[in-house]
Amino acid sequence: MGFENLLQILIQGLNMGLIYALAALGISLIWSASGLFNFAQGDLMTVGGYVMLSTFAHWALPYPLAFALTVGIMGLAGYLLSRGYFFPMFSQGLHPDIIVIGTVSLTVLLHNSILLVWGPHAQRFGPPLGDAPIHIGRIIIMPYYVYNIVIVVALVALLQLFLKKTIIGIAMRAVAQRQVTASLMGVRVDQLVALTFLLATGLAAFAGVLIAPIIPLIPEMGGLVSLKAFAAVLIGGLGSFAGALVGGVIVGIAEVVFATVAVPTYKDVFIFAILVVFLLFRPRGIFSAEISEKV
Amino acid sequence: MSKLAALKRLGPIQIIFLLLALIPLTGLPAYQFYILERGMQNGLVVLSLVILLGYTGQLSLGQSGLVAVGAYAYGILCVNYGVSPWVSLAIAPLVSGLVGLLLGIPSFKLTGPFLAVSTIAFSEIVRILILNNEKFTGGPFGLNRIPTILGGLPLYYFMLIVAYLAAFATLRLSRSHIGLAFKAIREDEVTAEVMGVHVRRVKLLAFVISSILAGLSGVFFANLAGYLNPDSFTFNESSTYLLMVVLGGMGSVTGGVLSAFAVTSLPEVLRFMTRYRLIVYALILLLMLRYTKVLNLENLQRLAQRVRRRLLPATARKDEVQG
Repeated sequence: MGFENLLQILIQGLNMGLIYALAALGISLIWSASGLFNFAQGDLMTVGGYVMLSTFAHWALPYPLAFALTVGIMGLAGYLLSRGYFFPMFSQGLHPDIIVIGTVSLTVLLHNSILLVWGPHAQRFGPPLGDAPIHIGRIIIMPYYVYNIVIVVALVALLQLFLKKTIIGIAMRAVAQRQVTASLMGVRVDQLVALTFLLATGLAAFAGVLIAPIIPLIPEMGGLVSLKAFAAVLIGGLGSFAGALVGGVIVGIAEVVFATVAVPTYKDVFIFAILVVFLLFRPRGIFSAEISEKV
Repeated sequence: MSKLAALKRLGPIQIIFLLLALIPLTGLPAYQFYILERGMQNGLVVLSLVILLGYTGQLSLGQSGLVAVGAYAYGILCVNYGVSPWVSLAIAPLVSGLVGLLLGIPSFKLTGPFLAVSTIAFSEIVRILILNNEKFTGGPFGLNRIPTILGGLPLYYFMLIVAYLAAFATLRLSRSHIGLAFKAIREDEVTAEVMGVHVRRVKLLAFVISSILAGLSGVFFANLAGYLNPDSFTFNESSTYLLMVVLGGMGSVTGGVLSAFAVTSLPEVLRFMTRYRLIVYALILLLMLRYTKVLNLENLQRLAQRVRRRLLPATARKDEVQG
């Protein structure tokens, strides 16, 4: 395998990995804020992709507007989901396993809703910068590879800025660290958990919009991506910002490399094997989160 | 009156299975009867989760993988190797039990969602292996013409007896030494260890027993369907099993069995909604989870008691207290 081949594979892997990272970041944020592991993240992502399909491909809105609308709709859905469903369950003091199962049955609802609204067949909308590949030497780069990488890097930088510099971001991190203390400091925990859900579903929407040109949308997509996102977040370290990113990229690249050098059919098995090894020997991931009480 | 007294002594589980035994006499249409059989088959998986999640507190989202192992072990033995169905019936749950032993190992270090993710990974691996080993499993085309142990009504009664025995055993298990050790682990592993519970061994035992029950359910699935396809053993199925056990009250055998039947038949009951039925189904499940604090068996029993007090005159009540 030549150097160019390797580079080609790495670009592909990085591209998928960053999308997994977005989904993983959403899981990680919700986990930090509420101690809830959101199994529905992948399906929220899929719904995001389908909403984009409607706004962009069916209603023919301009790309940026459709994108913003999709993220807005999904964010609002996440906010309402937290206010109306999950937060009341937290405050009831239900067994955490029951609330986790709530996210699991949410996947069933989302999956069935997609089937009803958009139908079972694969659908795709055109990437923003066209389909013509760019040739650099012997490397072939699709324009959306570059586009996706730029978008994700910008988004992550903005998010980091938001969490570190704004008062809401700081309050969010306070809630993640210790809810009771945060509420004593005058932070409205219910609002901030809901805001975290908003961020997470917004991130899911981003992932959905970006993944659709690479993989055609199918209703079952959520399950497949979910598992990669779970692997990413656990390999990277649950509750850690950098962990979700690194985990996502590791999973994305490992997947592509394994598919090229070994058998493509078993690439998922390979990812799960890495995951299980990590869970067994380094259960807190590469970057174990600073807030360890949650575990 | 004495007969009534005897009836009263029966537990709720006995009454449920007695009713199930009488149902074929009502001449239920074939399809509804099939749903009932599926409910019983799902009930076995729910029992497996009552032990694993309810008693031992280990969250598993990979139960459909274990059901798949049981079903395919039975199917492959019967179809590819010509083993007699009854022998396969005995071997298949052991195979899934053995796999469950492996599945239990991550539980030494992992809890809650971490364990759940490792079990999802397991069931995905099982699905991928089934899908890609066409020579044995038929891959995406499925495994056809699986012989059954019994057919029609005899199969129903055989399943009924097995399910009853499993339910009874699960109930008894909860009060046995092993069951208490399970519950000790659920409450606090360190304390359990201090009290002399060999935590790892007991956890493995919970996984093995649970996997055997799930595998048995798989065998019945193969018998009912006569055809196996990897699509029948997905994450959706695993999550439905988990919902059944939660709605039944996690550790309750009676509740679990009842909710297995209720959740299995719910999509059929909602059939009149045509396209919307699966959405309504999911919504109902979400709402039931949301109000699980209100909807548990204890509250229902309290409600039943209140109704009975209203309806029965005071003298009858006195009878009841003495009986």
